[in-house]
Amino acid sequence: MAQANTGQGIGRVERLLFTALPLSALCLVLWKLARLELPLSASLSWVPALGIDLAFHIDGLSALMLLMISAVGTAVFLYAGGYMAGHSGQRRLFVLLSLFMLAMIGTVTADHLLVLFLFWEATSVLSFLLVGFDYHKSGSRRSAQQALLITGAGGLALLAGFLLLGQAAGTYRIREIIEVVPQLEQGGRLTAALLLILVGAFTKSAQFPFHFWLPNAMAAPTPVSAYLHSATMVKLGVYLLARLDPAFGEWPLWELLLKGAGSITAAWGMILALRERDLKRILAWSTVATLGTLVTLVGMRGEGASVAVGSLLLAHALYKAPLFFVAGNIDHGTGTRVIDRLGNLRHSMPWTAAVALLAGASMAGMPLSFGYIVKDVIVEAKSAGEVFAFAKAANTIFGAVAVAVAGVAAVRVFWRHPGVNESCEAREGSLSMILPPLALALSGITLGVFPFFAQGLIAGAAGAMVPVPREILLGITLEFGPTLASLALSYAIGLGVYISWDWLHERFDAAVQRIDRLGMAAHFERLLRGIPRAAAASTRFVQSGSLPAYVALAIGTLSLLLALVMALGWSSFAVPALGGIPGPAVLGACALIAAGALASLFQKDRLALLLSAGLVGYGSGVLFLFSGAPDVAYTQFTVETVFVIVAASILLVLRRSGRLSSLPEARWRPAALALAAAFGAVIMLLLFVASTGPFDPALSDYFSETSLPQAFGRNVVNVILVDFRALDTLGEITVVLLSFLAALPLLALRRAGRERKAEAE
Amino acid sequence: MKRRVVMLEAAAGPLYWVILGSSLWVLLRGHNEPGGGFIGGLLAVSASILWAVSHGSGAARRRLPLKDPLRLAAAGVLLAGFSGLPAWLGGQPYLTHLWGKLPLGFMEYKVSTVLLFDLGVYACVWGALAGYALALLELDEGPPEEERR
Repeated sequence: MAQANTGQGIGRVERLLFTALPLSALCLVLWKLARLELPLSASLSWVPALGIDLAFHIDGLSALMLLMISAVGTAVFLYAGGYMAGHSGQRRLFVLLSLFMLAMIGTVTADHLLVLFLFWEATSVLSFLLVGFDYHKSGSRRSAQQALLITGAGGLALLAGFLLLGQAAGTYRIREIIEVVPQLEQGGRLTAALLLILVGAFTKSAQFPFHFWLPNAMAAPTPVSAYLHSATMVKLGVYLLARLDPAFGEWPLWELLLKGAGSITAAWGMILALRERDLKRILAWSTVATLGTLVTLVGMRGEGASVAVGSLLLAHALYKAPLFFVAGNIDHGTGTRVIDRLGNLRHSMPWTAAVALLAGASMAGMPLSFGYIVKDVIVEAKSAGEVFAFAKAANTIFGAVAVAVAGVAAVRVFWRHPGVNESCEAREGSLSMILPPLALALSGITLGVFPFFAQGLIAGAAGAMVPVPREILLGITLEFGPTLASLALSYAIGLGVYISWDWLHERFDAAVQRIDRLGMAAHFERLLRGIPRAAAASTRFVQSGSLPAYVALAIGTLSLLLALVMALGWSSFAVPALGGIPGPAVLGACALIAAGALASLFQKDRLALLLSAGLVGYGSGVLFLFSGAPDVAYTQFTVETVFVIVAASILLVLRRSGRLSSLPEARWRPAALALAAAFGAVIMLLLFVASTGPFDPALSDYFSETSLPQAFGRNVVNVILVDFRALDTLGEITVVLLSFLAALPLLALRRAGRERKAEAE
Repeated sequence: MKRRVVMLEAAAGPLYWVILGSSLWVLLRGHNEPGGGFIGGLLAVSASILWAVSHGSGAARRRLPLKDPLRLAAAGVLLAGFSGLPAWLGGQPYLTHLWGKLPLGFMEYKVSTVLLFDLGVYACVWGALAGYALALLELDEGPPEEERR
């Protein structure tokens, strides 16, 4: 533990304790699945006044997500132990990953829109912290910021969408919403909700046009990329769409947008994968493309598409996470991920090569892998449902380039390839870096040979989207027909792309570079640069630095607004009648106020000006004292005293530093006179209006009656402050404390500057 | 602190305690007569300012309870927050105030969590506003004494 305290990585025991978290979750999920205890529900009252309960519901789709979260989580936690061995931030990584896993579990089990949103945002924030894990690198920081800004903005849209949806449906419970919404009219409010929710889901799942943040998020350490940015978090968008599919599935708009954005993302992501030379970024783009395919499938109708969503979700987690681990192993063993500099690694890294082959086979959809079954299901779903030609073409591109990407990740770097073939120095990683990916990749193959293991799971997941009336059957179909023809086509094109990878790379790079300027990433960058510029320009415009200008602005705005309010809500007002001659005390106070105000008009010296202005304050205090508000009077006296002393001392400082004389004063300022007169007139009018209406004594009566019997105090003002409205007071004194806290650095700065100046002299 | 004003220094000694005492008195009687934590705190601030003007801001700061305005203000907020806990733990809404009687022989003094709350307000106002005032007054002074020597 002494080692742990110095921040040099963490000990084995602690690592095991962290890893026990996802492992126990995995065991629990498997146990519940095996005993067929789903669906499970739980609810805990949280904010009953707003109808927000911590409601959770685990059905087939949630169980599938939970299985991926816990299984890949276990692998990631084990892997991170080896990958980050000796890294000083290892504990931070484990803590963040654990928190992230909890947030994920919360998101996929929540049955209340706002609870789901809460966990959803938590995953965005944790993703920010994890992408920026190497915060000393500016690239990491920028990528983290980009990821947070995009998913965070999407999250805001999502919240708005959820609120609209909840209002329209009359409930925030997801299970009730998907039953209510199909019966509602497809009005404007629901359409707005739909669009906003789509923005949220598309940003999270990196759909076009928000696709560009995901490859940049590869700045994170490999375990993070494998976990967040391939297996779990980026699938949340797909999860949410699948969850809401029963509600909106019949809408043409839903179908159009999902199929459109999904297909564009699937094809464009794969084309962009061809541009990359970094293994991790290649894998990232293929993840983007897979997410696009998933979104397309959610948008399609029919149970075949729903089964395809479930199987592709599972298959992708089982092959993409190991491939990321492979990329991590290569990075760890050779120090580079650039595919040009890698080759012949199978001798030095045989186990990693084996993992890559197994996972790559599943990704390419080779027979006897789970990927094959998934491709089969997808092709069937697409030939069954009516799909427009573009989606079919996108699917072909997706399948073909997936074959090629699998080839690059699994074959090219481990065998020879037609480029540079440096035999680089490499060493195999520790056991904890081989076993987790091997286990995941092997399960992919196992499910390919014995697909019935996954059958119940996937049927359950599909059941969340469509009612599945009959038992679905996943099987190794080797019948000749459109399926095999389509697969053969994608193998053939994929092989071609793989062989001509470098040639295609050059062409695509050159072509895409030309349109980079127009891309979403470029627009985003421009927006980011524009915000501070616009802020600076507006600041320069508004903040002139002249105190009289500020005062004039503030008072002028206030007068205008007040006048506007009174003009719009023109209520009757009457000049209040003078109820006889007021007592000498009130007259004296008024005289004091008038004297102070008049005197301050003719003072040229600022200190005298301050003192005469202080007279106005004291006069008001006297007025309060004799109008039945001694508390206010006390406060007024004390505040006035403190203010005059402090302000005078500042004036003295300014006078000594010679800054007072630098501001020339005009003797006669007509504009200032007009402004002051206008403000005074507006305030007087306001007082007339306020005193004309009938006085509602309900509150003051209530407080004077209950103050003594209920709160044992005769001073009503104090009783209100400390008892009836004590929480408000607590808030106010907290604000007082916080304002002081915020002002401290400014005051210290001022002092430090003076001291430096004194030293220099 | 450029010049020492002997009369002010001499007067500040007793005056400081008189103001503080009256601020406490205003605080304690606040529930039934005009007064309370806010006003009491403000009076205490003026005592601190008096000391700062006569003996320097550093000296006034050292005279504050807990020796630090920020700490004093924070303690005040905490105290006010804690005063609501007993009722909450007893199953009543947070910040419901509890009352008890303390027999002193010749009279009964009513003690309550209200007083704790008001004391918190008092400390917060004293700490934060005295902190502001002392820091601003400090601008008028030279570097701290330790550095001058």
